[in-house]
Amino acid sequence: MPKSQFVSPDELRKPGFVKFKDIPINQYNKTIEDEKQNFTKEDFLRIFRDMVIIRTFESMILTIKTTGEYKGIEYNYPGPAHLSIGQEAAAVGQAYLLDKDDFIFGSHRSHGEILAKGLSAIEKMSDDELMEIMESYFDGKVLSVVKPHWDEKSGVKQLAIDYLVYGTLAEIFAKDTGFQRGLGGSMHAFFPPFGIYPNNAIVGGSAGIAMGAALYKKVNKKKGIVISNVGDGALGCGPVWEAMNMATMDQLKELWEEGYRGGLPIIFNFMNNAYGMGGQTSGETMGFGILARIGAGLNSDQMHAERVDGYNPLAVIDVMRRKKKLLEENKGPVLLDTITYRYSGHSPSDASTYRTKEEIDKWMEHDSIEAFKRDLIEAGVAVEEEFAEITSAVEDLIFKVVKLVVDDKVSPRMDLNKDPDSIGNVMFSNQKIEKMEDRECEVLIPKEDNPRVQQIARKVRTATENGKPVPKARVFQLRDGLFEAIIDKFYTDPTLIAYGEDNRDWGGAFAVYRGLTESLPYHRFFNAPISEAAIVASAVGYALCGGRVIAELMYCDFLGRAGDEVFNQLAKWQAMSAGILKMPVVLRVSVGSKYGAQHSQDWTSLCTHIPGLKVVFPATPYDAKGLMNSALAGTDPVVFFESQRIYDIGEMFHEGGVPEGYYEVPIGEPDIKRVGKDITILSVGATLYRVLEAADILESKYGLSAEIIDARTLVPFNYEPVIESVKKTGRILLTSDACERGSYLKDMAQTISELAFDYLDAPPVVVGARNWITPAFELEKFFFPQPEWIIDAIHEKILPLKGHVASTNFTPNEQMRRSRLGV
Amino acid sequence: MATPVIMPRQGQTVESCIITKWHKEVGDRVAVGDLLFSYETDKAAFDEASTVDGVLLARFFEEDDDVPVLTNVCVIGEPGEDISAFAPDGVATAEASDQSEAAEQLTSQVAVEPVAGTAPSEPLESVEQGDGRIRISPRARGLAERAGIDYTAATPSGPMGRIIERDIVDLIAKGPQVAAELQPQVTPGQVQAPAADISVSEGELETAYDVVPLTNIRKRIAEAMFKSLSTTAQLTIHTSFDATEILELRKKLKASQNPAAQAITLTDMVLYAVSRTLINHKSLNAHMVDDKLLVYKHVNLGLAVDTERGLMVPTIFKSDVKSLSQISADAKRLANACRAGAVNPDELQGGTFTVTNLGGLGVEYFTPVLNPPQTGILGVNTIVQRVRQTPEGLSTYPAMGLSLTFDHRAVDGAPAARFLKELKENLESFTTLLALE
Repeated sequence: MPKSQFVSPDELRKPGFVKFKDIPINQYNKTIEDEKQNFTKEDFLRIFRDMVIIRTFESMILTIKTTGEYKGIEYNYPGPAHLSIGQEAAAVGQAYLLDKDDFIFGSHRSHGEILAKGLSAIEKMSDDELMEIMESYFDGKVLSVVKPHWDEKSGVKQLAIDYLVYGTLAEIFAKDTGFQRGLGGSMHAFFPPFGIYPNNAIVGGSAGIAMGAALYKKVNKKKGIVISNVGDGALGCGPVWEAMNMATMDQLKELWEEGYRGGLPIIFNFMNNAYGMGGQTSGETMGFGILARIGAGLNSDQMHAERVDGYNPLAVIDVMRRKKKLLEENKGPVLLDTITYRYSGHSPSDASTYRTKEEIDKWMEHDSIEAFKRDLIEAGVAVEEEFAEITSAVEDLIFKVVKLVVDDKVSPRMDLNKDPDSIGNVMFSNQKIEKMEDRECEVLIPKEDNPRVQQIARKVRTATENGKPVPKARVFQLRDGLFEAIIDKFYTDPTLIAYGEDNRDWGGAFAVYRGLTESLPYHRFFNAPISEAAIVASAVGYALCGGRVIAELMYCDFLGRAGDEVFNQLAKWQAMSAGILKMPVVLRVSVGSKYGAQHSQDWTSLCTHIPGLKVVFPATPYDAKGLMNSALAGTDPVVFFESQRIYDIGEMFHEGGVPEGYYEVPIGEPDIKRVGKDITILSVGATLYRVLEAADILESKYGLSAEIIDARTLVPFNYEPVIESVKKTGRILLTSDACERGSYLKDMAQTISELAFDYLDAPPVVVGARNWITPAFELEKFFFPQPEWIIDAIHEKILPLKGHVASTNFTPNEQMRRSRLGV
Repeated sequence: MATPVIMPRQGQTVESCIITKWHKEVGDRVAVGDLLFSYETDKAAFDEASTVDGVLLARFFEEDDDVPVLTNVCVIGEPGEDISAFAPDGVATAEASDQSEAAEQLTSQVAVEPVAGTAPSEPLESVEQGDGRIRISPRARGLAERAGIDYTAATPSGPMGRIIERDIVDLIAKGPQVAAELQPQVTPGQVQAPAADISVSEGELETAYDVVPLTNIRKRIAEAMFKSLSTTAQLTIHTSFDATEILELRKKLKASQNPAAQAITLTDMVLYAVSRTLINHKSLNAHMVDDKLLVYKHVNLGLAVDTERGLMVPTIFKSDVKSLSQISADAKRLANACRAGAVNPDELQGGTFTVTNLGGLGVEYFTPVLNPPQTGILGVNTIVQRVRQTPEGLSTYPAMGLSLTFDHRAVDGAPAARFLKELKENLESFTTLLALE
């Protein structure tokens, strides 16, 4: 909503036409003879070799998968095998010009891309560089397997090729010596030192992540381009469109500052093999006809869209040369429609019932490897025997690697008997890194000149002053606590960026970011399109490349729009990389009220259920600032829940109010907000203040003293203070605004039952919101936990209170009835 | 006509905004669209522009003031217009709205009605449940084991007939023998009601009483009485006197044609006798203040009056120099004024000694409570017939009781008794006392 851009009715109401430019289709028409000036004989043969390596590699997996052996080596591989036999030219052509600084992100069908990109990177690196990488990656664990079988005379590059093929196959076969210690597998294998970034088993999953990587390159002025390799089927996925839309957003060219202005350095490449699994994209499941057409819909550059013949490696190299230049001139993004075809099924279980044998045979007649060899022979580049020699050498290489990989002695699996924490240890990186890079932070004004900083300086940092409540306009609020932590990090970590909907100018829908616009240039703080999937996916891409990011989703309810990105991407990549990648992402979500069923949900339980996410929910300004500081200093993804009920609340608990300086509240530690002796009440988020009311009633009316614990964090969670409290009181009630069924509180109640059974005078009782839609604000007191519900539940389930008359129904019969009805 | 400019309500939860800057001074000409002032909520900053042409006639708030929303901030009009009607009453407005909100909350809490069928869990009839199981919480079981007590003797008060910690606590408190005795008695219908919460005593139960807030006068009496008993060393001595003479006098006066004479009561006579006797017993006509005794030169006699609102003690000043009829008139006037609630507050203080009469209610002896810093208070009791030995044999006479409470810090027992003795003599020969005046 920049005021500098005028929305003119005169302009918008003017008649006219949208003009499109022609989109090239397979316009490459050079011969080998023409290309001899661009490629040496070695180059031509290396292209051939790389295609053969992929073909042989994939064929080997198919053989093992379908016959249980390969050239006499028995092996049972139960995992996935989405092969790209037939697609080799597209992979090799794409990778040919790329080096380690160019990042590719792929799909479930990316073995070929991994190998092609690795081979290309190896070709461009020095021996020293290669040795350094191989020796340092997992302390040389992968290298130690291949090195003894390396013929030193063949050179370091050959060792690196052995290493690449071995590391990839070992990863596919889930070996501890794989590139991710077997935690990624076939669909997720990658190797960052060669610029091979995560391949994604969720169709289209890489588009947004790759876009975030391109954002990282642009914002941090890093070398190289980024490629999103997904299939034509991925165009049926909303998040892919979101990613392309965000990559083409006008502000990059209109509003971003000099030095950062211009398009993102990314190619959205669609490996167009005509099928999304069995669905035929052109003719059946989509309407674009020619995939490249869609570029015209996204921006006036038509995304420089082009269809390229992916069966000719030289055509792909040609298009890559031109598009790479565009990206380097800040004219991205680019869309490529790379025509290719897979001979094998979607996976070995696919009987290809959706296509004819004639169709497959016809493509085989066009086979890229055979055609390329024939052309090279015809052009006199090399003779048949030279190709046979290459093919034979590749066969030997693959055989050697298979032998090594299947041998459990040299290539063992992760030993979870010996080290049961092997996977647990990589779920989180748990590091403290003040800044992801050490350089100056780009800001517009000194922090002390920031108007919000100055405004906050005049505020009272406690909720009460001389025993009287400080008025809202003067009190240091929870939102101020968040702001202080965030602006502090913006002046500390140069890689930190923040974005989301209505962040800049508006200051965020709930005014947490108010004042940030004045301090930060566009490239560090901008408005994202209303694309929750792209917002989170890009944050994932930005972080796994080495940056720190705060993504904001406004309402918690919008998490659903970013479901895959939060649950399958943000949560997974640290562990799937076996700790190679870090994920310093703070994902801010705000739990609403007043706005009904789609704007008022506490979805902490969805997040706690997914391993790999840290989940926090502060309820006081002190905790908000301290937890935000911790989240921003860490290297793990933190879903940071906030509540719109309490953004304006002052600090009522921490002695002396909210400190002005930096401090951290450790993630995972609950806090005793009030000491008591008769019953423990554990609260999550904004219910804390209703619990206080309930505790006051318990005290004054029934003489019961309640100990109030604010969970503050849900994952991780230290149960010790809670168990100690329950040992003392013998009773515990847990409450939050989450719907009761499936609430994480039920999980906590169960854990407490196990850990403190002998101390309990009654089962732990959970009071959550009803299992309904959230009704209108005027009816919310019938939906969200109220102080009297807490007292009623104690009375009915824990400790009958003499003289108490319940106003709500917490009886066992009612519990059974509701459950029967599913409400 | 002048137009007020209010502080806009920027959102439902905004209660007030801070004015951050004034763009116009009083007297400035203002055109439509001119910025008047900037202000901020806790969330955002805004500018307020004028919607009328005119002159800024008044500003009711200044920069940095926290202004309740919808309150007039300034007035625009033409010079000379009356703007007094627009001035907000500032803070009072905010407080009023707070109070009404609080009242609203209170109402909504009170309005919650109990849901049918969810009365508190009733105690189960037997420790042993229908399925033959005894329900007991792990905590209660652990406590019973550590205490070496048989938990089957406990009376369950937990949900669903569960024995919970407090039931074992009760059992321990009753002691093992009691528990043993109780055990066989636990049969259907005989189990006592669930024990009260450990920390709640019976007297506090809501259903057992009505809450009557104390009136201010009651609160003051409570404070005064408690202070009296907790800060003095008071004790009471009793005697009685032969009331034959004052009863006869009363009879005569009653028969008189003079209304003033008719109105003189026995109490008036006692007041008169006290005022004359006290003069000779200075330490009882005194105030005990810290380590000093303030001995009064006149007797300012306090008279305890029972009113609907509570005890009041007006003062008959300088009663020692007032005639019986003057004392009588004063006493009547003051008592009526107190009962009517019209007494002059000046007459409710300054007493040096107090007389209180419960005789009319048939009280024979009582221990009046001192009215500190006074050192004495005399209680007047009812008249009973007493027997005495005379040369003619046993005869009866009307005896009126006197109860003197005094502060032993100021007066010892013997001097107090001497006062009482002299008072007794004065009352028994009341006409002589009157004659010697």
